[in-house]
Amino acid sequence: MSDLGTSAVTGPEAETGGFETEIGGSAPGPVISERKQARRESWRLIRRRPSFIIGSAIVSIWVVCAILGNRITPHHPLDFRAKDSSGLPALHLSPRAAFPFGTDATGRDVLSRVMAGARDVLKIAPMAAILGVLLGVIVGMIMGYLGGWVDLVLSRIVEAFLALPVVLIALLAITTLGRSDWVVVGVVAVLFTPVVARTVRSAVLAERDLDYVTSARLRGETGRFVMFREILPNVSGPIIVELTVRIGYAVFTVATLSFLGAGPPPPSPDWGAQVSEGFRVLGAGIWWTTLFPALAIASLVIAVNLIADSVQSVLDAS
Amino acid sequence: MTLADAPVITAALEVRDLEVAYVVRGVDREVLRGVSFSIAPGEAYGLVGESGCGKSTTAYAAVRYLPDNGKILSGSIHVAGDDVIGMNAEQLRRFRATEASMVYQDPGASLNPSLRVGRQITECFTLLGQSKDEARRSSIAALARVRIAAPESVMDRYPFQLSGGMQQRVVIAMALACNPKLLVLDEPTTGLDATVEAEVLDLVRALRSESDAAILFIAHNLGVIRSMCDRVGVMYAGKIVEEGPSQAVFDDPKHPYTVGLLRSLPRHGIRKTDRALATIPGTLPLIGSALPTCVFVDRCPLASDVCRTEVPPVVQIGPAGDRYTRCHHADRIDDLEVESVTVDIAMLAASEHNPDVLELSHVSKTFRQRGNSIPALVDVDFTLAEGETLGIVGESGSGKSTLARTMLGIETLDQGGDMALDGAHLQGSTSQRSASEKRSMQMVFQNPDSALNRSWSVRRILVRCVTKLTGLKGEEANTRVEQLAAHLRLTPRHLDLKPRQLSGGLKQRVAIARAFAGDPRIVVCDEPTSALDVSVQAAILNLLADLQVEKRTSYLLITHDMGVVRYLADRIAVMYLGRIQEIGLTDDVFNGPHHPYTEALLSSVPSVDGEATLRIRLDGEIPTPANPPSGCVFHPRCPRAIEGVCEVTEPPLLEVAPGHSIRCHIPIEELRILQAK
Amino acid sequence: MQRLASAIVTLWLLATIVFLIVNVLPGDVGRKILGPFAPKEDVAAFNHRLGTDRTVIAQYLTSIRRVFTLDFGDSYQSGQKVTDIILPALFRSGKLALLAFVLTIPISIAAGIFAARRKDKFADRVVVNVGLASSSIPEFVTAAVLLSVFCVNWKLGEVFANPPAGTSVIGQFRYLLTPAMAMVIAYFGYIARMTRAGVIGGLQSDYARTATMKGLSKGTVMRSHILRNALAPTITVISVQVGYLFGGIIGVEKVFNYAGLGSTMLTAVGAKDIPVLQGAVLLVGIIYMMSTLLADLLIAYLNPRVRLEKTR
Repeated sequence: MSDLGTSAVTGPEAETGGFETEIGGSAPGPVISERKQARRESWRLIRRRPSFIIGSAIVSIWVVCAILGNRITPHHPLDFRAKDSSGLPALHLSPRAAFPFGTDATGRDVLSRVMAGARDVLKIAPMAAILGVLLGVIVGMIMGYLGGWVDLVLSRIVEAFLALPVVLIALLAITTLGRSDWVVVGVVAVLFTPVVARTVRSAVLAERDLDYVTSARLRGETGRFVMFREILPNVSGPIIVELTVRIGYAVFTVATLSFLGAGPPPPSPDWGAQVSEGFRVLGAGIWWTTLFPALAIASLVIAVNLIADSVQSVLDAS
Repeated sequence: MTLADAPVITAALEVRDLEVAYVVRGVDREVLRGVSFSIAPGEAYGLVGESGCGKSTTAYAAVRYLPDNGKILSGSIHVAGDDVIGMNAEQLRRFRATEASMVYQDPGASLNPSLRVGRQITECFTLLGQSKDEARRSSIAALARVRIAAPESVMDRYPFQLSGGMQQRVVIAMALACNPKLLVLDEPTTGLDATVEAEVLDLVRALRSESDAAILFIAHNLGVIRSMCDRVGVMYAGKIVEEGPSQAVFDDPKHPYTVGLLRSLPRHGIRKTDRALATIPGTLPLIGSALPTCVFVDRCPLASDVCRTEVPPVVQIGPAGDRYTRCHHADRIDDLEVESVTVDIAMLAASEHNPDVLELSHVSKTFRQRGNSIPALVDVDFTLAEGETLGIVGESGSGKSTLARTMLGIETLDQGGDMALDGAHLQGSTSQRSASEKRSMQMVFQNPDSALNRSWSVRRILVRCVTKLTGLKGEEANTRVEQLAAHLRLTPRHLDLKPRQLSGGLKQRVAIARAFAGDPRIVVCDEPTSALDVSVQAAILNLLADLQVEKRTSYLLITHDMGVVRYLADRIAVMYLGRIQEIGLTDDVFNGPHHPYTEALLSSVPSVDGEATLRIRLDGEIPTPANPPSGCVFHPRCPRAIEGVCEVTEPPLLEVAPGHSIRCHIPIEELRILQAK
Repeated sequence: MQRLASAIVTLWLLATIVFLIVNVLPGDVGRKILGPFAPKEDVAAFNHRLGTDRTVIAQYLTSIRRVFTLDFGDSYQSGQKVTDIILPALFRSGKLALLAFVLTIPISIAAGIFAARRKDKFADRVVVNVGLASSSIPEFVTAAVLLSVFCVNWKLGEVFANPPAGTSVIGQFRYLLTPAMAMVIAYFGYIARMTRAGVIGGLQSDYARTATMKGLSKGTVMRSHILRNALAPTITVISVQVGYLFGGIIGVEKVFNYAGLGSTMLTAVGAKDIPVLQGAVLLVGIIYMMSTLLADLLIAYLNPRVRLEKTR
């Protein structure tokens, strides 16, 4: 369970890990193991925090649901139709032992659909976040390190992007480009880039004036070396935090988009789409078709943010 | 306790057996292990010691302003007879409003950045029950009292519009508002320029005669303590190990730690050619470590078995009963040998005939900012010989760091100047210099925490530098790094650590090793010891001197510490507002006749030796390079300025004696008479 | 002045980004909107009416001009002027947003200060974690839960937020309260956490130490020394929230069936009415920029250093 559950955090760790082993290649062995040890230490501190344990437990439940999908759902999320004793479709059954989350307007099992719905959001959100952070790191690094007019121009562009509410612009883009998972990933990633870039930029600015950078320049290192090998490891803390936070936001954004109708098309058990179908009948007292997918969204975002929060507290403290 | 005969009632501050711990991850880490002292009204008491010894904790405990995790375990604190530890919140507030005040390090941060100075001062008086108008009048008087020339206009300013010296005057004015019984000064001049420091210290001295406040003075600078305090307590690892009248303690220390501390200072004008500095072996104990008997035992050259088994007694010294030391071997202190490692003087002496490595002619550097040009470096000429150390001294804005950065090519010099390395033209920018030129010039930075990449191991830092500068790769580079490390007395174990796992002194060794990775011709040392404790400083200075003798490296030594520069430098250049005001052999510059600015700089340094220094005082503030005064840039502050001349034309840098040049309109003979003691 | 110039540059960039998004795929706008089965002539006529048969440059210049004249052209769907559609909707959304903000700001700043003063104590943890959770949940989720609990089960609010015509201001408040609560919950967390961080920084600052050592009471130190310096990041966050708010409001409006900007946009999405979407996005961008401008001015007012060094 923990293997799956921790993916949100091991993701970024593995990311920078890749970078570091690559650089470490030129240095002798003990260096790498020592570095790993230090990382293992903060990893151990993170794992001990209750918010991390709760967060990763919830995330792992959803990851399992997303991977196994209809192999573990009690009923098929799309095809199954509940029948009453007379064989007629049992629509809008309230929660009961057979259907703990009730059934929806066409008699499908809400529990099965909520479980299966994890896949739609987990397929898109982490990818969008990772891509956005990757782009943001590159842009922010360039802004922070080069400074001068490059920074000036990019800062303006970043500021313009920040003026665009993510959901609105995503709606516009999806309307013009047509809806596909890739468009959603791309749009969310591009809209996250400026935010990440700004964070990375300020972290890099604090590093740039440190003397180790001067020293690197004195021995003739290239700008790229200084940026990605000298400075990057020192700003990896804020980047990891940013990544976890962004995954949370991505889930948030993707769910909102599907609620607004820019999600996967109808039979899909996507959570946002389910809320969107369900909330219209709330007035009739049918709350379960809305509440359970809504809670699913809330639980996933809160869980990711709990992880982000514990990562941040540990990295801030060290 | 033997101090009990000090009458409790009259003491302005009475601290007894104070034990304070910081709670770190649920564990108490003891920082004060039974501190006792008392200060009489009107007396100034200094606490000295290296970082982590607990002197600041003592000061903050005295006014009950410990951090959230600070905990008073036992002991008592009385100010004018009032029990400070037992006070409730309201009593404590009244105590701070009326009885105790504090002056802090970093006056800029101590003042609220978004409130006018006037509002911050009047607050102190309204607290005492004055009306708004009264408080305003009192505030203006308070500012005048701290020798602020135009108090009304200062009242309307924000703190960031004032210089550091002015800010500290404002803080002092606030501290004195309630006419406190206890005034705590926590490193009040650390971070200020030497001439400004001298002004602030003069002010405090003058105010002492106007007030009967007891002063608790915390400083790491022993010279400051000696010149300011009547009595001094030497702290080590949370205990006062020696106490007595400052003059007696500094001239005739009676505790092995005090002896070590004082011997590791470059004092009495000693030079590297005289002897190596003494060092204290070992390192400071970690905060909270168990030190059941003598706190200094692990580093003490006199330590014997009894030191490890029994708590050292408080040994009274002299008949007056005003001195004590905590040592089992107080009678053997005088046996402590002065380590006299002599340096290979023959090698050093030869340096006079050495060829020049670097030559700077007409080097200027002008920064541009929002259309304004800021001349940070103006027409600098000098040469640096092989194996020679040129010391650069000056205050903030003097251009000494710009000079270093320009030499190294981090900043590109202005058109019209030229630099030559071994007689060959040197490109202005690092990126245009050849590999061998880059290799020839390296730098040791002030702050090793900033200078070493904290996510790299020491080995990786050094290997990269060796590879980049010498072209050695793989195993060869590694071997070279291990040799280098051994040379700087770093063990192989250190190589696999990260910088943060090393002490300050070790970090600076790594930084020095990195600078020496490619056998440089010139190493620029920018305040190489100012972030270090005194005992660590000595070891680093010795190391630099040894390396120089052996490798024939030339140093450009930037420092504000006159003792350090005198010890290490062969020649000294004094800079002011981007110009060299004086350059010459160390002895010539120190002994004079010298430039009036040099004179002021030298006389502003409080001496730990208590030698009488001829004190000339500077008025006004250091001008900014953006807006330099006309004529001689020093004339507005110069006590010897000649009206009608100095503000009109800038004097040339004239050679007044072989190898000694001064930029001054006053003829050398007249300076000699003026400066005669 | 310099700040205004940079706002204009940002506005231009904003318009350019929106133009690029809309025009990133070369293609036949008329065909996209009318569908694959529309007759060729109709498509051509449609494109001509919209001006989408002109060169990209010409269209770009038009779109830039439109931003600065606040004229976003005509709706594809109804032919009405876009501003005539958006502005009334914006006004209604604005009412909701304003109510949400008026409720959020005092509550969350107070909670932030409260938590900071009890740093690491139980009350602090509660505020921090409630804040984390509240800012994690998408607005529409909160809105749906509030709707089902408050309005349906407990009958405390109105299911539809649209008040009947002629409802008094107080009456409107009743209709808008539940949707506004959804937004309050969403924004509470950010502002409270940011305030908390700022105040903790202030409490640990040297100037707070000086003030305490003067003998000022805790309350005075907080009021006259810390808050002024500590609230700058909070103000920035609030101004940034204004932009996000118009993203989140869409979901809330949908749940409560409120005829604001969000509903207008959703209708436009359904009809692929790009000018309306474009106009709405740009308008929100302009509002965002104005709010950050306002925040900068406020910060400059509170912080003399910013103010005095800018004008120098």
